[in-house]
Amino acid sequence: MPPRATSNTADPASPAWLPDFCSLPVLFAMMVVAEFVALIVTLAPTAEPRPFWPRLGSASLFVQWLALIHAVGLCKLRPRLLRLRPWIGELAAYAFMLAVTALGSSLVFSLDQGLALGLTLPASRHAHFVTRNVLIGAPIGAALLRYFYVLEQWRAGVRAEARARFEALQARIRPHFLFNSMNTIASLIRVRPGQAEAAVEDLSDLFRAALGAGDGLRSLGEELDLARRYLRIEQLRLGERLDVLWRVEALPRELRLPALLIQPLVENAVYHGVQALPEGGRIEVEGHQHGRTLEITVSNPCPPPGRRRSSGNGMALTNVQSRLVYHFGPHAALEVDDAGERFTCTLRLPAAPMEESGPRAPVGEARY
Amino acid sequence: MAKMRVLVADDEPLARERLAALLHEAGADVVGTASNGEQAVRESERLQPDLAVLDIRMPGLDGLDAARELGRLAKPPAIVFCTAYDEYAVRAFEANAVDYLMKPVRLERLRQAIERAARLAPARLGQVAQSLAPGRQRTHLCARVRGNLVLVPVGDVLYMLAEDKYVVVHHTKGQVLIEDALKSIEDEFGERFVRIHRNCLVARDRLAGLVRLGDGRILVRLTGCEDELEVSRRNLPAVRKLVRTL
Repeated sequence: MPPRATSNTADPASPAWLPDFCSLPVLFAMMVVAEFVALIVTLAPTAEPRPFWPRLGSASLFVQWLALIHAVGLCKLRPRLLRLRPWIGELAAYAFMLAVTALGSSLVFSLDQGLALGLTLPASRHAHFVTRNVLIGAPIGAALLRYFYVLEQWRAGVRAEARARFEALQARIRPHFLFNSMNTIASLIRVRPGQAEAAVEDLSDLFRAALGAGDGLRSLGEELDLARRYLRIEQLRLGERLDVLWRVEALPRELRLPALLIQPLVENAVYHGVQALPEGGRIEVEGHQHGRTLEITVSNPCPPPGRRRSSGNGMALTNVQSRLVYHFGPHAALEVDDAGERFTCTLRLPAAPMEESGPRAPVGEARY
Repeated sequence: MAKMRVLVADDEPLARERLAALLHEAGADVVGTASNGEQAVRESERLQPDLAVLDIRMPGLDGLDAARELGRLAKPPAIVFCTAYDEYAVRAFEANAVDYLMKPVRLERLRQAIERAARLAPARLGQVAQSLAPGRQRTHLCARVRGNLVLVPVGDVLYMLAEDKYVVVHHTKGQVLIEDALKSIEDEFGERFVRIHRNCLVARDRLAGLVRLGDGRILVRLTGCEDELEVSRRNLPAVRKLVRTL
């Protein structure tokens, strides 16, 4: 069956290559830079006879005025620019800045001539004045855009990392599961103490793994064992209603992965699938390797859409998805196929080993 | 004093076993067990227990919905709920003075629950269900056909017509009578059904279009159903708007 809903587009925060120029911090940064520019222009050796302070005053007035027009213009244009592809948007913003500088310079020059204030250059040098200002503005504008871009990317990276950590915490096992398991064990102690003992061991392993989930990587083999232990406990609880089929021999067990990527899918399959069906059903976990991609599928029967309880579905899936984005960038995906009576999750991962240190493709991957 | 006759409903075999054993120790007589809400209602009708201990989370008809149906029996049993971990449920129970047990159940606590087991009116249980989650909806409508319980999945309902004291539910596999009021169904399911007439609710996802008759009356067409239903003048603007967005 064809996948109905492919969704690996979980947004890593917002498209953050251009800041909000209407916000006070950005505006302030613009004005500080503008003042530096005014200072540099005034300090530069010149044939002009006027003393330093009046020159700094008029230069500041001019440059600050230009900076404000830039800020207001970019603020208003931002929604449209963000809809473009980043590099086109950046170029458009840059072109806008140069155009504003050119037009602004030309306007100020004309005004100055008209009012005969003598703040700019002699009348014959209109083109020179405009060109000079654009040439001064060009590197400064480029540096400024680049600075804001890097800053926003860095912030997005920090946000994504915090979110990934938070979500790893959230991915920890549902409290429901703990208490249900305790209840199962309490029942088993009376009738089958041996099984009760095994259940306590499995439960301990699960919680040890879940409590350490925030940090680091784990081998695929360990993750699969964890899912197996989880299902073993659920099998005790649900009895004959839960049947499990494993076909994961083809997977490389030693591959390093972020923790708790598969267990939540299996937990979901029980929670929203088998457990919600009076007659139960079979969960199938399959793994294949296609070239450099691993494909792990978890599928389960589930009540048809009209008969589901509306609460809480999809939380675990969103969670796994955003952690995939954080750790693998575009190299991994979680595909969900909700074909009425059967629910299938397909996890696609790179088969190459991951480095131990942090995410492979940070959100702030440079595009320049 | 005669032993209290108890029905245990839980979808987990081990949980049922343990609860039955504890009930036995507490001096009660477990007359029957059920593995889902539907079975619990059927078994209660047949066995007429004094008390039903219902797990909240069961497939199909869950504990709360089953309790509501039990409240409508001629001789309703007292009800005690059982849950592993439901902050919301516990708050709702406390607010409505409904007794509940937390899993794993303790013997002393079970004894207490048996002693003060009280019969609750279905309206009260409805309140619990509502305060549990404001948007909570039943997944099935319960009807009686010749004395037998019939569950109609809400997703299978085509439309509902109010007639006298009953509501006739037309669904994909036939029609049944239920005792709920049309208004309360409308309130409970909100978005899911649209009122097209004083006496008629239609499943929103079954709406196929409108038909104008020669005499100016307007009918609704439904997918998967031959019937055409009249739209009242009062409900027409809303229905028309909805059909346009389809």
